[in-house]
This record gives sequence, C-alpha cells and structure tokens, in this order.
Amino acid sequence: MSPKSAMYRLVSRLILVAGAFVSLFPFYWTAVAATNPSGKVFAKPPQLVPGSMFLENLFNLNASIGIFRVLFNSTFVTCVYTLFSLTVCTMAGYAFAKFRFPGRNALFSVFLVSLMVPYHATLIPLFKMMASWEWINTYLALIFPNVAYPFAIFLMRQNLLAMPDAVMEAARIDGVGEWRLFVSIVLPSMRPALAAAAIYLFVYQWNNFLWPLVATSTKEMYTLPVALSSLIGLSRIDYGQVMTGVTIATGPIVAFFLILQRQFISGILGGAIKE
Amino acid sequence: MSKSWKLFVWLLAAVLVLSACGGGGKSSSSGASGGSSSSSSSSSSSSGDAQDPVELTAWAWNVNVGALNEAIAMYQKDHPHVSLKVEDIGRLDVYDKLSTGLAAGGAGLPDIVLVEDDRIHGYLDAFPNGFANLSELGFDQYADLFPDFKKNLTSLDGVFYAMPFDSGPTGMFYRRDIFEQAGVNPDSIETWDDFFNAALEIKNKTGVYAFPADKFKDDANFRMMMNQLGVYYFDKDGNIDFKNPKVIQAMNNMKRFGDADLVKDVNGWDGTVSATVDGSVATIPFGAWYYGTIIDQAKETEGKWGVFLLPAFEKGGNRAANLGGSSWMIPASSKHKEEAYQFMAFFSTTPEVQIMAMEKYGLFPSLLTAYDSPLFTSEVSFFGGQKIWQLFSEEMPDIPTPYYTKDYAIAFDEAVKAQADVFNGKDPAQALAEAAERLASRTGRAVNEY
Repeated sequence: MSPKSAMYRLVSRLILVAGAFVSLFPFYWTAVAATNPSGKVFAKPPQLVPGSMFLENLFNLNASIGIFRVLFNSTFVTCVYTLFSLTVCTMAGYAFAKFRFPGRNALFSVFLVSLMVPYHATLIPLFKMMASWEWINTYLALIFPNVAYPFAIFLMRQNLLAMPDAVMEAARIDGVGEWRLFVSIVLPSMRPALAAAAIYLFVYQWNNFLWPLVATSTKEMYTLPVALSSLIGLSRIDYGQVMTGVTIATGPIVAFFLILQRQFISGILGGAIKE
Repeated sequence: MSKSWKLFVWLLAAVLVLSACGGGGKSSSSGASGGSSSSSSSSSSSSGDAQDPVELTAWAWNVNVGALNEAIAMYQKDHPHVSLKVEDIGRLDVYDKLSTGLAAGGAGLPDIVLVEDDRIHGYLDAFPNGFANLSELGFDQYADLFPDFKKNLTSLDGVFYAMPFDSGPTGMFYRRDIFEQAGVNPDSIETWDDFFNAALEIKNKTGVYAFPADKFKDDANFRMMMNQLGVYYFDKDGNIDFKNPKVIQAMNNMKRFGDADLVKDVNGWDGTVSATVDGSVATIPFGAWYYGTIIDQAKETEGKWGVFLLPAFEKGGNRAANLGGSSWMIPASSKHKEEAYQFMAFFSTTPEVQIMAMEKYGLFPSLLTAYDSPLFTSEVSFFGGQKIWQLFSEEMPDIPTPYYTKDYAIAFDEAVKAQADVFNGKDPAQALAEAAERLASRTGRAVNEY
C-alpha cells in the first residue's frame, strides 16, 4: 500500500470519527441529562458525567405520565400498525405492479397525489369520522386511519416492478397458485424492500404526534410523544423527567432498526430462480 | 435461508389471522374505554336533580392540573355529587386539540379548558358560538373582583367568555450579588435611564449583561415595555398601532441596550433559563410566574435574588405591566355547562382556592380579594426575605390593557421581524413602519397614523 493511500485512509477515518462524534454526542448528552437533576441541563460547561438521579427521574416521570403504560401503548400501537400496514401496502403495491385491471394507472396516480395532501387538511374530517364512530380514545383510532400508507405502497410497487415476470410465469406454469406465488416466491425476494418499508412505517408511527394527540383524550391512552409533550408546561419544566422520557423513547427505534438492518445486506434476488 | 422465509410466511399468516380476530377483539375494548367518557356525559345529561352525580372533564397543563384537583376537593365538601377528571396536556397541545374539536362542531371537547389570555379573543373571533356565554350564567356579579385589564381580556363587547385565573404582573428579577459586586443599589433605579446607567456600570465591573433577549425570535421585553406605556400591537379598536410614538419609544429603548452590548442574545426559552442559571445576566424582566422557574432550576442561588418593578420611561411614570396569564373557558358543546360554571366560578372567586394555587403552584391570582391573605405580605427567603408578592399584588390595579385581537400571532411575527431589523442596525421608527405595512397587508387592518 502506498503511503499516499494510507494517508488518505487515515484522514477519511478521522473525518468519519468526527462525524460520528457530532451525531452521537446529543444522544449521549440526553442520556447523561436523564441521570441528573433538572437544573444541570443548563450547566456550563455541559454536564458529561452520569449522575445518580436516573431512578428518581424515572420514578417522577412515572408519577407524572405513567411511563410504563405509555410505553406499552406506543409499542403495541406501533407493532400492530407496522404489521397491518406492511401487509396492506405490500399487497396493494403488488396489485399495482403485477396485475392488469381497468383504471390501474388512474388509481395509482390518485395514490401518488394523496402523498402530496398535507396531513393537516384531513385532520378535522378524520376526527369527525372517528368521533361519529366513537373510536376517539381507542387503539382503533390510533392504528387504522393510516394503514394504507401511500408512500409504503409506492415503495413496494417500485420494488415489485423489478421482480422479473419470467420467474412468476415459470411458477405459474409449474402449477403454483396465485396465493402461494405471492407468499413463497414474491415476498422472499422482497426482503430488503420489506425491511425498508417496515422501518419507515415503524418510525412514522412511533414518532407520530398530531393524530395521537387529537385522537386520545385520557392519559391511559396517550402514546409516548403525546405524553412527553404534556411535560412541557409554560414555565416549570422538569428537564430530568423530559430527558429520561426521551432516552426511553429513542431505544426501541434503534433496536428495531438494528434488527432489520441485516435484511438490507442479505441477498436481493438471491435464490429466487432455484426455488 | 429457506427457514427464515418460512418464518416470514408464518408471521404474515399470523398477521392475517390477527387482523381477522383482532378487529373484533378490539372493538369490545373500545366500547369500554370510549364509553368511559361518552357514557358519563350521556348518563347525567338528564340531570334535573342536583344530586345526580356529575363528572366534569377539564383540559389544562402543568401546575394548573394540581390546582384544579385540589380545588375540586374543596368544592366537593358542599357539592359531593360533582367530580372532575383533569387531563394534563402540553400547553400548545391544548390549542391543537381545542381547535380541532371546535372545528369538528364540539366533538370530544371537555367541559372546562384553560386558555391563555392572549388567545381568548382569537378563539372568540374564529368560533363565535364555540364557548358558553358566562354573563348569561351569572358571572357579571363578580366582575369587580378583578383588575380592569383582566376583565377586558376575558370579555368581548361586555360579555364574559372566560373566568380569570392567573396573571403575570411583571418585574425585574435581579441578582443581588451581582448588583452588590458592581456597587449598584437597585432601589435607586426608577427610570429606564437609571437602569441603563446601572447596566453599563455592572457590565464594566463584572462583565455581566443587563438582561437576556432572543433578539431574532421573541420580543417579550418589547411587549412588556409597550404594555407599560399603555400601548400594544393594536389599539382598542383593533387598528395597527406600530407607528404610535410610544411603541417607537419602547423599541428605541430596546435598541439602546442592544447598541451598548448590554443585551445577551439567547436561544428561546431554554436560553433564557440557561442565562438565569449561569449568572450571565444581572436581571430578567418577566412575569411573576418566572419565580417558579428560578426556584426550580437555579436552586443553588437561593437568597441571591430580588425583584424590582420595571423602570418607568419618565420619572414617576407607570411601572406596571403584565406578561402572560390564563383563564378558564367552557366550550358551548359541554353537556354540563351549569355545573362547570358553578365550579369554575367557585374556583375563580374564592380567595382560599386562589391562595392555594399561589402557595403550592406559584400561580399568581388575578382575584383582588385574595391579596388580603398574609401570604402576600410574607417574606420570601429565596429572594433574600423580600416581600415580592406584595410588590406584584400592588402592581395589579395599574396594569394597562394589552389589545391582542385574533391577529396577535401575525402581529407578533411582524414585531419580531421589526425587532430583528433594529438589532441589525435599522432605525426603530423605520423598521416599525415597514412592519406596520406588512401587517396591514396580511390582516387587512388599518394602520394608525401619527
């Protein structure tokens, strides 16, 4: 290896390390703030050594928003939503990509247009609808309104377009039914796309704020972002509690991403033909 | 490899099965949780009999929740059939929920909601039939228990739509140790000129700034000064008042401190608190509620604080102003307007309730009769034994009314731009005149000429 490329590698590593530090530091600072009393958030220079207040902050946080209940709500709603939405969106994307039916393109462009409608425009009609069904303040209202998520449908359709028709024809000639074709042949080759869509849907629902805020009306039904937001009063904010809550809220996203990340790397159309 | 595919297929199949039975299973749970709010309201909607149990619901944020819960306990001694469920919601989140509910014709709204004073007229304008007419329910009899500015903020055309709760009489929260170190006596400061000279002295001797300001995003100091001078973004007829010489005078005052590098530029609320905690500013001009922030976040500075009134613009001039404060409204969709009104009238006009809210939660009352309590002449040790509540309560009757209108948020936006222009070197009169034009074209309101 020439000294020039060694130099190049050293410099690029240094830049990467600096970048990693810049992006990770806020998380570290948040986690440290979660272990310190409220006023320490404003300390100068910033507090970088973990304190001993984490359990007390957690206890206070539980007293004020019921963190465990809220964590359960968020986890339950997000997981069920991700499963449902992924199923619906994948099937819809499959239909748009591989089936010919009258009005297919028109319907798909309607979906594309709905990507552009700001969420706030549909908030009030949706709220009225949910209120008339008496779904307000239930898990139903938190999970179902966005199950058919246009972006995920779009993502799956684009990926499914890449699926060679020849493979599907071959399977059909071998006598594979449509259902089995979809489940055993199409889906396995879509793992990277499914993982991407799942991560997207999971993060979207986990962080979703405005709709859960409007759709819930009691503490027992709040999701994490809504509950954390309720900690922000006008002038008296316990930052220890806020930071503890934020630390807890960040964990599941990181975990979910790490679990699915492998799917990105593993084979794309790997064994499709051999099956 | 094929094993994990199978797993995925099974997972998908499980989802499908779940989706089939999950829908049914959850709809029964929705009946239980959804019912808790709707059934309680329908069950007692037929209440002609006062003894039928009534559960009221309320939306509020932060410390106000605790105050409500204690007040209902006091109220239940004479009204055991009334109970209250308070939802703790973020301050700004309350408005999102309230606006959505009002736009949806009152669906899902509580019986009682806390609204900040600067938003009340905006809501009344946007939803003229959205809130209960409190004068009809009998609130006029209590009008004289409150200072004039608060009455003006909670009523429209002589009709009450909100019941006054807390206020934010302003003061200069100052650090005694920094003043002493610089050899400045706070009692000698009567006018902004005095304070300007004192601030120069402090900056020279200690390097500490006079006060914090979010120069390019917030204009709280400017608003306090306008209020003190009896002017605001709008006059009482809703015309734009940015060209009023007194408004220009307030902005000039900001400019003078900025030019002399006496203003510490901070980033929003957190920046202000940060400057408070680290002692980089000698004073923080704010509403009385800032007391709570100081004692919560700057625990180590106990005893080092004091308060004096905003300096006057000329000797003997007005030193009273207000920043912040909130009141209770009853959505017109409430099925228990009468009960909600009775409870909130009790809450708003009973000195014991207001003193409890003040003592435990630092919510400064607007109820004038509450000031007779010994609490308001007590010495506050965190503030070096100063009788700060007496200072604030004596200020209340002199506070001029700020006129917010429904376009307050837009006016605020333009005023902040004007302030940013001024801190960037533009002449205040010029910057405000330009802001007035922009505001006029955004709101269609007339601009007062002088």
